[in-house]
Amino acid sequence: MDRKAIKKWLKDPEKMGNKYSLWAVYFCTGCGIIEVPPVITSRWDAERFGVIPVATPRQANLFLITGYVSVKTLRAIIRTYEQMREPKYTVGFGSCPINGGMYWDSYNTIKHLDKYIPIDGWIAGCMPRPEAVFIAVTHLWTLIDKGMANAYKKYRKQYKYYRRNQEMALGKLEWPPLYPISKDE
Amino acid sequence: MNKKIVAELELAFKDIEVNTPQDTRVEICAREEQILTVLGFLANKGYDHLALISCVDWIEEEEFELVYIITPYLQENKAYIEKGDVFLKTRIARENPEARTAIPIFANAEPYEREIHELFGVKFSGHPRLTHLLLERDYEIPPFRKDFDTRKYVKDVFDSIPVIPEEEE
Repeated sequence: MDRKAIKKWLKDPEKMGNKYSLWAVYFCTGCGIIEVPPVITSRWDAERFGVIPVATPRQANLFLITGYVSVKTLRAIIRTYEQMREPKYTVGFGSCPINGGMYWDSYNTIKHLDKYIPIDGWIAGCMPRPEAVFIAVTHLWTLIDKGMANAYKKYRKQYKYYRRNQEMALGKLEWPPLYPISKDE
Repeated sequence: MNKKIVAELELAFKDIEVNTPQDTRVEICAREEQILTVLGFLANKGYDHLALISCVDWIEEEEFELVYIITPYLQENKAYIEKGDVFLKTRIARENPEARTAIPIFANAEPYEREIHELFGVKFSGHPRLTHLLLERDYEIPPFRKDFDTRKYVKDVFDSIPVIPEEEE
């Protein structure tokens, strides 16, 4: 271990633990998932960075949204995101979740994913190279170190706005609100 | 190549148009009420596989064109009819479009007809369940019609959803 890191470990072991063991939920949206198998296997080996994909959202705390999000997928994304344990980090991968990308005028694709779930960071490009995933992971480390990767806290605080946007896009949602919504407005 | 089936078709049906634009392709233009008979005739002749039902929006002529692509699939039928596909085309009115379902002859027509119903709004009479296949939303104009304005739709629906406000400190 890096000797300089010992201080950090002693100061905030929880943060350091989160930082170096990111468990990515293996959720496939759109075409970007084609980059993920080489990332997690021997060619690029994401385990060097502590990123391992897991099968279920309840074991995961990193959510890579890889590629365009259709209306039907958005429903699955919200359900997956709400099942993940905190602290949870989301990264939008590719240009489609950012602003629609090449599906900017499509009738069934969600533009601006951050209107529906909070996003910690974006990877631009169509497609981003696998190296971009590691750049994103190292950026995420910096954000966690500085205490800025707090999108999940924003989700908790601004939940009524997120829920309202989700209902605007999907119609009536069939699951109850994750957090209580105050009725004062 | 396909002279045999063309001759048989012309013998059996008086008022259909049969062309062979390529060696391996027979193109039939028929009226909507003839579709089931022609499909049944071809199915008996060894064209046993419905590959696709497609739809074309001819907005200027105010018509939809349904295209049934059928092909011999089983090995014994391939030997019997040299090779090639049949494109069976029919035109229906664009206003309140309705066609008969092809499920009695080709059971795999069900998802294709649901898809066309969803994307073009063509009603298939006799279809057991014309519900959504791929989409979730209800559209005023079915989205694959030529007069569906995607940019206006995106502007009205997705762009009107507000951005999440920043947290108040």
